[in-house]
Amino acid sequence: MDATFFSNAIQFGAIFLFGCVGEILTEKSGHLNLGIPGIMCVGAAGGCFGAKLYLMPTADPNGFMTIFMAILFAMIFAGILGAVYGFLTVTLRCNQNVTGLAVTIFGAGFTSFFLNSVVLTEGVSTALSSAGQNFFLAAMPYEALGWFGEIFLSHGAMVYLSIIVAVIAAVVLRYTKVGLNLRAIGENPATADAVGINVTGYKYTFIIVGAAIAGLGGLCYVMDYMGGIVGATVDTTIQGIGWLSIALVIFTMWRPALAILGSIVFGALYILSSRITGIAFYQIPLLNIVPFAVTLLVLIVTSIIGKRETQAPASLGLSYFREDR
Amino acid sequence: MERVKQPLIHITKREDMPFWKRMIVRAAAVIIALLISDIFITASSDGRGGFFEFFASLFSGAFGTERRFWMLLQNTALLLGVAIALVVAFKMKFWNLGGNGQVLMGCLASAMCMFYMGGKVNDGVICLVMFVASILAGMVWAVIPAVFKAFFNTNESLFTLMMNYIAMYLVAFFIALWYPTGTGVMSPLPYGNLPTLGDGIAGRVLLPVLIVVAVTAIIYCYLRFSKHGYEISIVGESLNTARYAGINVKKVIIRTLCLSGALCGLIGFLLVGSVNHMVSTTMDGNMGFTGIMVAWMGKFNPLIMAGVAFFIIFLSRGMSQVCTDFGFTSSSLSDIVVGLIYFFLIGCEFFISYKVHFNFIKKKTKQPPADGAVAEVEPEAQPEEAAEGGVQITETSEEGNS
Repeated sequence: MDATFFSNAIQFGAIFLFGCVGEILTEKSGHLNLGIPGIMCVGAAGGCFGAKLYLMPTADPNGFMTIFMAILFAMIFAGILGAVYGFLTVTLRCNQNVTGLAVTIFGAGFTSFFLNSVVLTEGVSTALSSAGQNFFLAAMPYEALGWFGEIFLSHGAMVYLSIIVAVIAAVVLRYTKVGLNLRAIGENPATADAVGINVTGYKYTFIIVGAAIAGLGGLCYVMDYMGGIVGATVDTTIQGIGWLSIALVIFTMWRPALAILGSIVFGALYILSSRITGIAFYQIPLLNIVPFAVTLLVLIVTSIIGKRETQAPASLGLSYFREDR
Repeated sequence: MERVKQPLIHITKREDMPFWKRMIVRAAAVIIALLISDIFITASSDGRGGFFEFFASLFSGAFGTERRFWMLLQNTALLLGVAIALVVAFKMKFWNLGGNGQVLMGCLASAMCMFYMGGKVNDGVICLVMFVASILAGMVWAVIPAVFKAFFNTNESLFTLMMNYIAMYLVAFFIALWYPTGTGVMSPLPYGNLPTLGDGIAGRVLLPVLIVVAVTAIIYCYLRFSKHGYEISIVGESLNTARYAGINVKKVIIRTLCLSGALCGLIGFLLVGSVNHMVSTTMDGNMGFTGIMVAWMGKFNPLIMAGVAFFIIFLSRGMSQVCTDFGFTSSSLSDIVVGLIYFFLIGCEFFISYKVHFNFIKKKTKQPPADGAVAEVEPEAQPEEAAEGGVQITETSEEGNS
């Protein structure tokens, strides 16, 4: 338990934070997007593709441009899959759970195929790990500041970006008219519609924006945490992280600001098994259970307390059809 | 004459579509999805296969040899079993997303019996203990979320999802415990083999298939004709109605999930005892999720679900052959194609339950005589036209994917 551990926890927490903030924005519009794990995978694939697109023809790549391209493509890829989910659930009014699972199955399969067949051609893996290095360029001269610098200032660009995104989401939801309208839609779309809010427009916007933000989570895992090394099981790992991000939404009671803290806690729990020393080889899987078991505890406790402030938006998971009674 | 302003596209609920028309809409969705996958795969396969070779490979992968055919049957049976287990819970609107974990716990329990009892007692006893143990393990894994759902209304979909991962790491733990120096892979054990009905692969596959067929028939009757089945559908339709009718909702939830988990455990038992003779962390083969899709697309009707399960397995086995023939190294291509099919099949339901009126298309229907109150002309779209519209709109959804 030293500064490195906390530093790593914050770094890993950023992945959860992206997924969690994306899911909060989606859920506030009344849509439970179980496709977030798949969307995060696709974000990782898109990010690698964007970085490759810029790095391969460029002789002397610029760090900022690499990051920019990766982020841009991660958001585009994830946003497109989010739009598919939105089209199926908003316009076609399909069941949200089933559609979400289909998105996850498709997204994970697509990522595994796309990374292996399209992105990882000759010489790309070295280029990608150099792109991964670029994500650390945003780090400040932290050694001079001792433990404080190591914990708070030693991260890549994505970590700071995740916190900025979370703060913006919190402010928008809490203090702006757009946020108020969005929350109204999540609670009761018929009432919001009667007031004259464009329900379909809001739902589409926030499903796609939420998906794009979640997609950055996948990019953050591949580029920032793994340093650009794309393993064979990357889609399975990101899926696990994605489900935890959805659970984190309940843990943080649909508040992006609280999600910053929650994600660091989850990050610490997640990396626990690889950081604790002096245990037997066979005990490691038991430590891997910890974040999932803690999530269960949180689920149970919040449901027992059952205050209205800690509950989901009232019309979460229900399709809205104006002519329904 | 002043016209009332109308939106360009107007959607209304559709009453009842005839059965054959519903089937045409679904068939159109599947065919479009397959054509799109075909074009995509043919285009990206560096000229190794053509447009029609795709379908040839697909069928040869599923039916090509006797062995492939029996494997197709076996996997269909296992998937159908999981879907049947889940449908019991879904009828009650309990989103059991934990099929993977419940199957895996069944597998783990069976493997534990093999590991600890193998060689000490004879195979018949081991099989019997395996059977009981795996059903119990699956049951426990499903009852824990059910109890919390019943008493505290805990979100069951996330709860069961987390239980999946706990089951996965438990399996990893036991493999690491049993094979401390190994690579985390368990080798098949020669104990606890289920009896075979005949020689070769046919005899081995027949037993699981027959068991699943029997289970499907029993569950069909249970849901359709028994008092329990009736209670399940009432709880699913309306909790308040169930309470007013004097149904003990908590009891129904817990009892139903016992059944759901037990059936998942049974599939785990078949997976270990008949197919693999060992356990691994990915042995559930994601059947918990696929089973949900099967149950949903089969309209919760066990007989239609059998057809859907067969089609999904046909696709995934056929696609692996397509991957080999067309020179793709990644086997996850089949996930993409199956995912596309899901999108189209889920999406096409819209055109079955809703009617789309295109108001910008001039109707050829006779205008009623103009005598004052004509403004409200009900646009009457022909059903065929709406079905065609369905095809067009699902195509636009595809553009987003590629």
